[in-house]
Amino acid sequence: MENCACNTCDAATKKLYEKAKSERIDTIWDRALAMQPQCGFGEMGLCCTNCSMGPCRIVKISEDGPKAGICGATEDTITSRNFARAVAAGAAAHSDHGRDIALALYHAGDKTRIRNEEKLFKIAGEWGITVEGKDTVQIAREMAERALGEFGKVFGKLQFLQRAPEKRIKLWDELGVAPGAIDREIVEVLHSTHMGCDADYRNIIRQAIRAALSDGWGGSMIGTELSDVLFGTPMPKKVEANLGVLKKECVNIVVHGHDPTLSEAIVLASRDPELLELARKQGAEGINVVGMCCTGNEIAMRQGIPMAGDFFQQELAIVTGAVEAMIVDVQCIMPSLATVAKCYHTKLITTSPKAKIPGAIHIEFNEQKSLEIARRIVKDAVMNFKNRKVEVFIPDDKSEGRIGYSFEAIIKALDRVTNSFAHPSGTVKPLVDAIKSGVLRGAAAIVGCNNHRQPHNTCHVTLAKELLKRDIIVVTTGCGAHACIKAGLMDKDARKYCGKGLATVCELLDIPPVLHMGSCVDISRILVLLSEVAKYMGVDISDLPVAAAAPEWMSEKAQSIGLYAVASGVYVILGVPPAVTGSENVTGYLTKGLESVLGGRFEIENDPVEAAAKIAAHVENRRKRLGI
Amino acid sequence: MTLFDIIFTGSRQALEAAKATVAAAVEKKGSDARVAFPETAYSLPTIYAATGKKIGSLGELRDALSIVESLIVPEQNLEKALNAGLATALSAEIIEACKYAVEEKPYSEPCAGFISDAVIRSLGVPLVTGDIPGVAVVLGEAPSAEEAAKIIKGYQNKGLLVFLVGKIIDQAIEGKVKMGLELRVIPLGYDVTSVIHVVTVAIRAALIFGAVPPGNLEELLKYTKERVPAFVNALGSLSGLVVSAGAGAIALGFPVITDQDVQEVPHYLIVQKDYDKIVPTSLEARGIKIKITEVPIPVGFAAAFEGERVRKED
Ligand code: SF4
Ligand code: SF4
Repeated sequence: MENCACNTCDAATKKLYEKAKSERIDTIWDRALAMQPQCGFGEMGLCCTNCSMGPCRIVKISEDGPKAGICGATEDTITSRNFARAVAAGAAAHSDHGRDIALALYHAGDKTRIRNEEKLFKIAGEWGITVEGKDTVQIAREMAERALGEFGKVFGKLQFLQRAPEKRIKLWDELGVAPGAIDREIVEVLHSTHMGCDADYRNIIRQAIRAALSDGWGGSMIGTELSDVLFGTPMPKKVEANLGVLKKECVNIVVHGHDPTLSEAIVLASRDPELLELARKQGAEGINVVGMCCTGNEIAMRQGIPMAGDFFQQELAIVTGAVEAMIVDVQCIMPSLATVAKCYHTKLITTSPKAKIPGAIHIEFNEQKSLEIARRIVKDAVMNFKNRKVEVFIPDDKSEGRIGYSFEAIIKALDRVTNSFAHPSGTVKPLVDAIKSGVLRGAAAIVGCNNHRQPHNTCHVTLAKELLKRDIIVVTTGCGAHACIKAGLMDKDARKYCGKGLATVCELLDIPPVLHMGSCVDISRILVLLSEVAKYMGVDISDLPVAAAAPEWMSEKAQSIGLYAVASGVYVILGVPPAVTGSENVTGYLTKGLESVLGGRFEIENDPVEAAAKIAAHVENRRKRLGI
Repeated sequence: MTLFDIIFTGSRQALEAAKATVAAAVEKKGSDARVAFPETAYSLPTIYAATGKKIGSLGELRDALSIVESLIVPEQNLEKALNAGLATALSAEIIEACKYAVEEKPYSEPCAGFISDAVIRSLGVPLVTGDIPGVAVVLGEAPSAEEAAKIIKGYQNKGLLVFLVGKIIDQAIEGKVKMGLELRVIPLGYDVTSVIHVVTVAIRAALIFGAVPPGNLEELLKYTKERVPAFVNALGSLSGLVVSAGAGAIALGFPVITDQDVQEVPHYLIVQKDYDKIVPTSLEARGIKIKITEVPIPVGFAAAFEGERVRKED
């Protein structure tokens, strides 16, 4: 498979890439190729377009090129500003997602639409919302209002920061990076990176850190927590993954994007007997909803809906010729989908006023009429079944795995090894014991996207396997999770990749060695887990033998995630360098300097085998420091 | 020291002790002297099951030391720690074998020492039927004879087979625990190494009833883990040697429950400081469910008493 231009380790991807080629359809890989060579100034972050005196660029390769922008901004200023803006954009994407979930909760209206009252009450308790004498809907509404307040409140710090270990909270306060209102932090980055504002790269990164923290401990966490309240907290379940989950005889609907409000409604609508009957009348055997990217993760985690594929597979899903409708909302939706869909019968349906695509059908979704709109969309898909044009080709590649590992589900799994006469239940103690005793050496998160600069999925999968054999348990989200499940790493059988310690843990807990914790906003679940472990051990997150990696990252969201992880004390390996390499100072600050400030830092390493070795070394170093 | 380091150190100590014991035995009897446990067809059962090799002489026993050595690789992971635990078991067997090579009758009342094949065969059926729901290995020293008796009788009452190692034997006697094979309480010996005599019970069960081929360590460990419902209670202060022997038990799939402060290992190494809870903690840890409902009469009433003749005057 190495010789394939699409450079993937996934068989379905390769087959469909070849089908696309033969049908002369350009996909991400072809466009990436056409883009070569990419601009070195941009790659290194040395290009600034922040005002109309620019664009300016700093020339590094020769002595006589400009060393400052027209305004005098240096390479340090320009690269850090670019980076900060990327982080702000990422934080904005996650946060806006979180806000939409809060709005959905606000409009939930009746009790049946709140599927997890227990969590509602739990968060209410945490936030000091009194529940006595109020009904569920009232509490939900109050919570939603409070959550919405987090985006723009005038005073105070973010609610969820309280979940962090005490030492971390203190450190943030001392450094002045504890975020206030989410939107405020994002705006502040945009302000201070405006021409003629902040020129001090350290200070610019400090602002970016506040914005990033307002994502991880704000927007993303609100998104996750309130999604659980609305749609239920994920619990372990089996799902199928990869493009082989499309069904030739069924109406195939791919939901793609991020917000579960839409995808959950589509899932519900697809089970409507009337629509099922309609599908049968059209000659289909049923309606097959499958998920892509993060919204795919959301409905897989909660409903067991098959995970059709990751970021790089979105065009290929359409290339099967079997997709009646691809329904998208926001984020990571390639505009090229419209072009690809045109070659088939597939209807590309955009639903968010925040993300329209020329050439797509736009059916605007709103939380208040969610089911009604979802029904209409599903009906459109059903009626499109008979319009299939080309010969359908669905690769027979799919794999199965156990997913649904929310923080709550992990605690529940851990309870399996507590002894009811000797231990408390409902705590992270067994995990802490496994780590302290050395049975598990540590834990690592593999998150992030796909990127043509890295062989598709290979980096996720290789890194995971390398960690497993070293008894480092892996948690994953986002497209990393798609890669891992496709490679069979969420199957029981994956124990064969594990060292004895991890294999034993998997057997005792009845879990796979790679735990799917959800979508990209669900990285907040990892923060919660880390916090609980740190608190249990009486240490800070930066003391834990843990690490994170985004081996194939591409989005601005990933940069925000990376930075809030670092700011939370985590060692983060990036498989693709961010566009800061034009400044040695900024690169050095992110990859070294930050550690003495925050306890976490970035590392740039594109080779997954090397990355695993570095993570293992970091984990052992932390163990030594802890004396375990 | 990390838990694994304690294990590695203990295993090294056991190996050194084994080396010294073998050297002394060779010194005394010569390397051709015969080595055998009484009434067994399985030579030195642990070494035989693990390697497929039968040991006949002290010279061969000396050669076996290198196998033990090779199992001690002080890398920080569970696999190596468990291997080191197995190494300790092998060292213990070597030391115990030397006792039998050097002395005519190394064990005497009340201690049983090596358990014969015949006894194991007789235990096979009740183990399979669940009439013996589990095997408790109690080693070390309880805080008092009273506590010791309470724990031992707790198991005896439920029909478990109990092996005693160390000072707990005297405590059991003091606590008026009725002992003997038919009462399912068997004192093995006072040295830690005599714990191997219960290990070989499990191992021979795998060879005899499980038809595990000698030399297939993986299958052996699978059998003991899945089929021999044993666990260990390590009471009183824990030396590195005991901890590494505990790792050996864990390698066989047997959880260790202790009253001491150690780093717990989920499921396998459990701290229970409340002596009244040691029995239920242990049974739960090994997943042992008692078939017979306990009858609350003053005399322990269970299968363990089946073999006891009730004398008229009682
Ligand atoms: S802000 Fe400065 S460096 Fe950037 S484009 Fe304007 S003049 Fe050039
Ligand atoms: S992992 Fe990256 S590509 Fe995948 S959905 Fe998340 S942000 Fe998009």
